[in-house]
Amino acid sequence: MEILKCEALRKTYGSGDNQVKALDGIDLSVSKGEFVAIMGASGSGKSTLLHILGTVDKPTSGKVTIDGTDLARLNRTEAAIFRRRKVGLVYQFYNLVPTLTVRKNICMPLALDRKKPNTEYFEKIVSSLGISDRLDALPNQLSGGQQQRVAIARSLIYRPALLLADEPTGNLDQKNTREIMDMLKLSHRNLEQTILLITHDEKVALEAERIITIEDGHIISDEHRGEVKSLS
Amino acid sequence: MWKEYSKSYIQNNRLSGLSVRIAAFISALLLSLLCGVFYNLWKYEVERIVLEEGGWQSRIAGSFSPEEIEAVRNFASVKDMVVRDGTGEGAASYGKQSYVEQGDGQESETVIDLYFDRYGAVLKDTPRIAELAGASPEQTAYHYGLLAMYLIRHPSDPAPRLLFPLFLLITGIASFSLIVIIHNSFVLSMNARIHQFGIFSSIGATPRQIRTCLLQEAAVLCAFPVVAGNLSGIAGSMGILELTNRILGGEVPGRHKAVFGYHPLVLGVTLFVTVLTIWISAWLPAGKLSRLTPLEAIKNTGELQLKRRKNSRILGLFFGMEGELAGNALKAQRKALRTASLSLVFSFMAFTMMECFVTTSDISTRETYFERYQDVWDIMVTVRDGDGAAFEEINEIRALPGVESVVAYQKAMAKRVIREEEISEEMKSFGGFSHASESVVTKVDGGWMVNAPLVILDDSSFLDYCEQIGIPPCLDGAVVRNLIRDVTDPDFRHVQNVPYLNTGSTGEGTVSILMRPGSEEMAEVPVLCYTAEVPLLREEYATLDYYQLVHFLPVSLWEKIRGQIGEGEGELYLRILGGENVTLEQLNGLQERIDSLLAGKYVTESENRIQEYELNGRQIQGMKLIFGGFCVLLALIGIGNVFSNTLGFVRQRKREFARYMSLGLTPENMGKMFRIEAMVLAGRPVLVTLPLAVVVMGLMLKMSYIAVGEFLAQAPFVPIAVFMAAILGFVALAYYLGWRNVRKISLAEVLRDDTML
Repeated sequence: MEILKCEALRKTYGSGDNQVKALDGIDLSVSKGEFVAIMGASGSGKSTLLHILGTVDKPTSGKVTIDGTDLARLNRTEAAIFRRRKVGLVYQFYNLVPTLTVRKNICMPLALDRKKPNTEYFEKIVSSLGISDRLDALPNQLSGGQQQRVAIARSLIYRPALLLADEPTGNLDQKNTREIMDMLKLSHRNLEQTILLITHDEKVALEAERIITIEDGHIISDEHRGEVKSLS
Repeated sequence: MWKEYSKSYIQNNRLSGLSVRIAAFISALLLSLLCGVFYNLWKYEVERIVLEEGGWQSRIAGSFSPEEIEAVRNFASVKDMVVRDGTGEGAASYGKQSYVEQGDGQESETVIDLYFDRYGAVLKDTPRIAELAGASPEQTAYHYGLLAMYLIRHPSDPAPRLLFPLFLLITGIASFSLIVIIHNSFVLSMNARIHQFGIFSSIGATPRQIRTCLLQEAAVLCAFPVVAGNLSGIAGSMGILELTNRILGGEVPGRHKAVFGYHPLVLGVTLFVTVLTIWISAWLPAGKLSRLTPLEAIKNTGELQLKRRKNSRILGLFFGMEGELAGNALKAQRKALRTASLSLVFSFMAFTMMECFVTTSDISTRETYFERYQDVWDIMVTVRDGDGAAFEEINEIRALPGVESVVAYQKAMAKRVIREEEISEEMKSFGGFSHASESVVTKVDGGWMVNAPLVILDDSSFLDYCEQIGIPPCLDGAVVRNLIRDVTDPDFRHVQNVPYLNTGSTGEGTVSILMRPGSEEMAEVPVLCYTAEVPLLREEYATLDYYQLVHFLPVSLWEKIRGQIGEGEGELYLRILGGENVTLEQLNGLQERIDSLLAGKYVTESENRIQEYELNGRQIQGMKLIFGGFCVLLALIGIGNVFSNTLGFVRQRKREFARYMSLGLTPENMGKMFRIEAMVLAGRPVLVTLPLAVVVMGLMLKMSYIAVGEFLAQAPFVPIAVFMAAILGFVALAYYLGWRNVRKISLAEVLRDDTML
């Protein structure tokens, strides 16, 4: 079942001589339950793609459909609600609210809908991410690895259709990188979570089932595990 | 979202809301004070109108039968009515329940004063009532002044009556000004968390949720300050009223005591205006912040940036690298410090201007009034409808202990023709009547018709005056003030007087032909003397109409000619001197004795010189206190903003300082940077105000013909310097606290900061 579809996606910044094509005709399809890594050097357009998929940015042209929803049709409020319910975002720098406890940070997307978390599901997430004992701590009382786990827990609390992770290990040491990748794989396996991981680290990318490489706004390769499909 | 986020944010970041709280408190205080004072001014004005003119709302005049009066009484919206005959005597109140049959029921000229249940019904129902009573529209009258106080205007009312609209306009302007000033406090508080709201937005908070959250936060932050500010404002307005009563109470002729009042509706309006002002102030930045895309917000690190390259050359030149860095930092913080800059500049400017203006006004009043009339009067009594000829009590007043001299005088107006040959050479040298406006001088056959004010002295005083100017005492003629100012010189403070008439050809023994204004009637008055010397009276002559030819004449002569000239102004003035070195207590005692002597026989108003001098001083002090208080409040907004900004330095500028530290800037260097920033911030009001004050005061001194040296000798340097020092002191303290916090920054920690990119 196709959960994400991009058709002729383009994004340009600036105008005239200063125009930069961040994405230049991206066609992409991701099925439910896939773990996809998008690789590329700095400035290749991978973060722009993630921002568009996360509805925090809009494409210049092209069409994006996530779980049957055409993102172009969403106004600001609808986009926010879509982001809350259908997309989980994990950033390199965690982006936790410093004044809220770990528990409140995790439950914030539900709180925005005036909902309470399913206790069983909440316990399952926090225990599998290993942060059960830090729920009442503030983000600044946690290590970088722990903060990223909280960010992952927050992104999963609404059981999103798509989890988008932007260099989630970019700010972590090797040990924490290993652990975070294990967490992502665990959630992929146990919760059948569709994951789109953006990274420039080949080692991290190799953890995914499928690796898409972007260069200058184009997809230059789409490699399924053990199989390389060259697009160039 | 509020419960989850804002509550804990406010609880854990009390200082960050300080500026907002101060701004809300001061806004509420100012608006409440304004509304409280305006309500009481309005109330006082209504009371004054009712006391002086009566509380009727409309009136019908004519001949009415008892049946017609009964019909009026029974009209639904009429609450009360008073029926009087045309002379105003025999008034009878006709409440709904207390109708009294009038006289024998015969029809006569009657005036019915109408009082309505609602002011809104006056214009609509009065014509109906008049029709019911058989009166024509011309026989109805409306109490324009009173109705205007309730914003009810009749189309035929010619007067502008702007008091109430003025109150509304000032409140509106105050509210708008506060929005301009305080919304920056909200901007500062909200912008400090753009990154956090970006996080919320990225996890699905809608713009509306973010806006609501920010407004809820503002509501919580401002709730207590608004209540406290409102209560303080009510107390303040009560204090101002009390102060006014103490300063003016009973000492200003015709003034009744103001009693403080506060209607619940005023509280409602005040709260509404305050909440609206603060809500708009919060809504503007909240709306802007909620419209940011998550990407814009999340990328915002809260660090202050220069939008384009700007050099701080002057600061760099004077203070080196620290000066340049401080200048750039101030430019980057320009938005954050806008409230501070605006309110500090405005407060200092307003304070300086007020002090300078009061000083100028004080010099002017003292020179033109108190010093000029120092030895001319001690007590002045105005007797309403007094007649100098019949005023016998003057001898009783003269006999009172402590009275040195009493002059009773009246004023009247006549016209006189001045012939070409009568004009003095000096007057001719500046053009004769060529500069005179037609409204005061009329060209007639053989000369010019000018105004001739008559000052009618009691006979005894006139004889004394004759002695004063060295002519034989005589009651058969007038003394003419033979002076005219050089009309080509507009300097009213140093007037150059020259002889008006050529007394060589029109000397003693001539007559002055006085004419009744607007009439052919005239009277011949022998001229005893033309002189430059005037009797000792608290009067100014020919100040507006320079061409007036003032005549002093005894009341016995006035009695003979008043039939031709016409009536006087209807008021009799008593100028009383109480001897040299008289004290306020002695004057107060004498004033009381005179008042009691005249009480019951006349309607009088009296004032005494020393009391008036002290009253004038107290009025100026009171005005300075009130206006200075407003300036201090305005400055407090700015200082609160500076504190809020500097206390947020660790959060807002830690990256900037970390960079400096990593480049080798010492804490002392940064201390110097802070001192420069504080100096610029506190010095800006001075730099902006002083040139402006110099220009404005230069113009003001020029217009009022006060010498610069004279002003400088009394210029309010001390209060201005104190105000300036207070601003500098508080800004320096705020920066010192900011610097103390910044010194605690760990370079390693900041450079490790995850968002430092």
